[in-house]
Amino acid sequence: MKSLRFHRELYPGEAVDEAIKTLAPWAEITREASPSHWIVRLSARSAAAERRVAGELMNFALGLTVRRGPPAS
Amino acid sequence: MSTLPLQAPEGLLEVDLDDGSVSLQIDATLYPLPAIYAAAYVFIDRAYVLLDRPVDGRVRLTLASKAPAATPEDLRALVGEAANELLSAAFRHQLTQDNRVLVETVTMQAVAGAMGAPSLADLADFDFTDEALDDPLGIAQSWEEKHGRPLPSEASAKASAETSAEGADSEDSR
Amino acid sequence: MTDAGHDPDVPADLAALRPVPLPMAAIRPRAGTQAMFRFRPIRNHVLVTNVDGRWLLLSRDEFTAFARGEVPEGSPLHDRLSSHGFLREGYRVPQAVERLRARRSFLQAGPNLHMLVVTLRCNETCAYCHASRANMDAVHTDMSKETARKAVDLALASTSPFVTLEFQGGEPLVNYEVVQEVVDYATRQNRERGKQLEFTMVSNFSLLDDAKLDWLIEHRVQLCTSVDGPQALHNAQRRLPTGDAHQKTVFWIRRINERYQQLGLDPTLYHVEALLTTTRATLPMWKEVVDTYVELGCRSLFLRPIDPFGFAERTARRLEYPRHEYLEYYRRAVDYMLELNARGVEILERYAAIFLTKILGGHDPNFLDLRSPAGAGIGALAYDYDGSIYTCDEGRMLAAAGDQSFRLGHVDTARYRELVGHPTVRALAIATNLDAQPDCVHCTYQPYCGTNAAYNHKTQGSIFGRMRDNAVCAVHKGIQDYLFEKLDEGDPSVLRTFERWTTIRAREHFVQPLSDASSPSSPAPADPVTPRGGPA
Repeated sequence: MKSLRFHRELYPGEAVDEAIKTLAPWAEITREASPSHWIVRLSARSAAAERRVAGELMNFALGLTVRRGPPAS
Repeated sequence: MSTLPLQAPEGLLEVDLDDGSVSLQIDATLYPLPAIYAAAYVFIDRAYVLLDRPVDGRVRLTLASKAPAATPEDLRALVGEAANELLSAAFRHQLTQDNRVLVETVTMQAVAGAMGAPSLADLADFDFTDEALDDPLGIAQSWEEKHGRPLPSEASAKASAETSAEGADSEDSR
Repeated sequence: MTDAGHDPDVPADLAALRPVPLPMAAIRPRAGTQAMFRFRPIRNHVLVTNVDGRWLLLSRDEFTAFARGEVPEGSPLHDRLSSHGFLREGYRVPQAVERLRARRSFLQAGPNLHMLVVTLRCNETCAYCHASRANMDAVHTDMSKETARKAVDLALASTSPFVTLEFQGGEPLVNYEVVQEVVDYATRQNRERGKQLEFTMVSNFSLLDDAKLDWLIEHRVQLCTSVDGPQALHNAQRRLPTGDAHQKTVFWIRRINERYQQLGLDPTLYHVEALLTTTRATLPMWKEVVDTYVELGCRSLFLRPIDPFGFAERTARRLEYPRHEYLEYYRRAVDYMLELNARGVEILERYAAIFLTKILGGHDPNFLDLRSPAGAGIGALAYDYDGSIYTCDEGRMLAAAGDQSFRLGHVDTARYRELVGHPTVRALAIATNLDAQPDCVHCTYQPYCGTNAAYNHKTQGSIFGRMRDNAVCAVHKGIQDYLFEKLDEGDPSVLRTFERWTTIRAREHFVQPLSDASSPSSPAPADPVTPRGGPA
């Protein structure tokens, strides 16, 4: 199980959700919300796979955020 | 977590050799957020990139090398390049800000559309309702619309509707 | 959007391509005096480009002074920067507008390239077939005459004064009757429209005979083909049941070129153009490929990498390669072509010519995937055999694999303005506008570059793509790095060759004569020698 925290002032929820949807075929992924972060938990078939899926999810979320703009403050 | 022998003020740089990652804390009062995003984006081909806000006024950029078994030298190069890229991105951002009006003026004057003037038949059939703005890819939709989130409060929705109506009026009066 | 995965090997491949970054901390840049510009290290110099595509190669010291805003007024560097539009003070807006307008002239009219897939049937079997060809008994994949005429009507409705109808397949000669019908019908219809109308056919030539050739030449149909290099390589990748695909293609290339000469046409301008598809097997054969093209009398060679469409997706493990290997191959091949040019052999590389026309010539040759926004829907339309209309050739290739994302309508019901104003076309224009694409917006090569939404969609799961790990972006950057290194070296022989490569001479012979309307006076804006479609 790997946990990622996306700050809500830096990542729009839409970007995180879309990144989760994109990577869903490769891991079991859940998302929760804390007051400050979107918290994503994922588990894949191995530690290496988890690292890679988590990393790709981070990059997808960043890519979408850059493309569409950061969350409205 | 181990330390990385790099010249950086205490607490601004952290390295995790086991994870092959390095984190750099950035003063968000010195570097505008768009520049931080732009610099972070540059690394997505070779690193997994995460931004966080550990405390107000700071952004933490974490770069985890995609290459397996990254050495301290690899991470040092990565973070050095990140610091360099931040400066470049901030410079580019400022250039863009300074020249925004100029660039928009030049582009607007230079570019024309491909559709040509409508024929009479086109005008007769033209759909002047919002239906003509169908957006199958959802590029014009808000997050709330797309994901079924609760709409903004009634008050803000009303205010928004009034603003839209004013906008529509001013469009018509041109 | 589907297929969101991307090639995990791409980042490692691209590591070798990145230039050594500039030491920005030491440079200590300070914005304020500079007009909008972008920068990139080129060996020991720094390339700077501005909004309207003008560029300078500065020494590191010159760049430092410029970036700090410390260039003394009246100095030669100040004059250079000022006259090229790099300083805010004295920036001449009308001049920049004119330059940018010239670079974006393709936006002033609608689609000029209309690709007609007259059949999917093909007698050749190519390892990488992007078009998902059908067997010769699949007669249901032939375009009907009625559908073809409707496609022509839509093409001639374009706001562009220049219309090129490109016959594709499959193998277009399989449905030769419809090719003839299109030529006759379009020529008749165009008498009222008065457009500068041209026809191009992308064929493997194996079904050609003298009667067909007579007719095609008489009707000024420009003939293009595919040559994958020397005979053994070509025949291994492009198979005819008789095993002689290369021999047949070469036979007809020579025959057609002879016919052009008999007509008194200048052979430097009028000859068969051929397309290459670079597979893994091609990479070590860069010299043999160039030699083959020269020996065939081809004056241009387009070193295109393989695309992931059609059968190429299935055969990728065998045919694909890391893009840094492609760029090494590209450099070797073009170095060799430059050597040949220095010895008086005229052969140009098409990618280089497209980029150099923008870099040195200041205008755009309108190659659809190397412009911003790209030509999908606003510069070109593709009409499939069944009458479906797509934004681009790749769109119909994706449709053949079950993905209809790029379908705009059908010839039975579509109207021109609905097509070019279609939401998908608008979305593609937004996605391929490099002024709004992350990374591209800051890229030094932005004024000369372009992106392909269908490729992005196919390989990265979105029409926007993600340029930092996008293989097409890596190729475009790598080629432009190479060209600017050559410009930086300043070898007079290379510079002369580059200048020649940017000179586009219109092929007036291929323009259909108008009996009762005057001919447009200016040459077509489209690159007149590069068929846009996939290999024949």
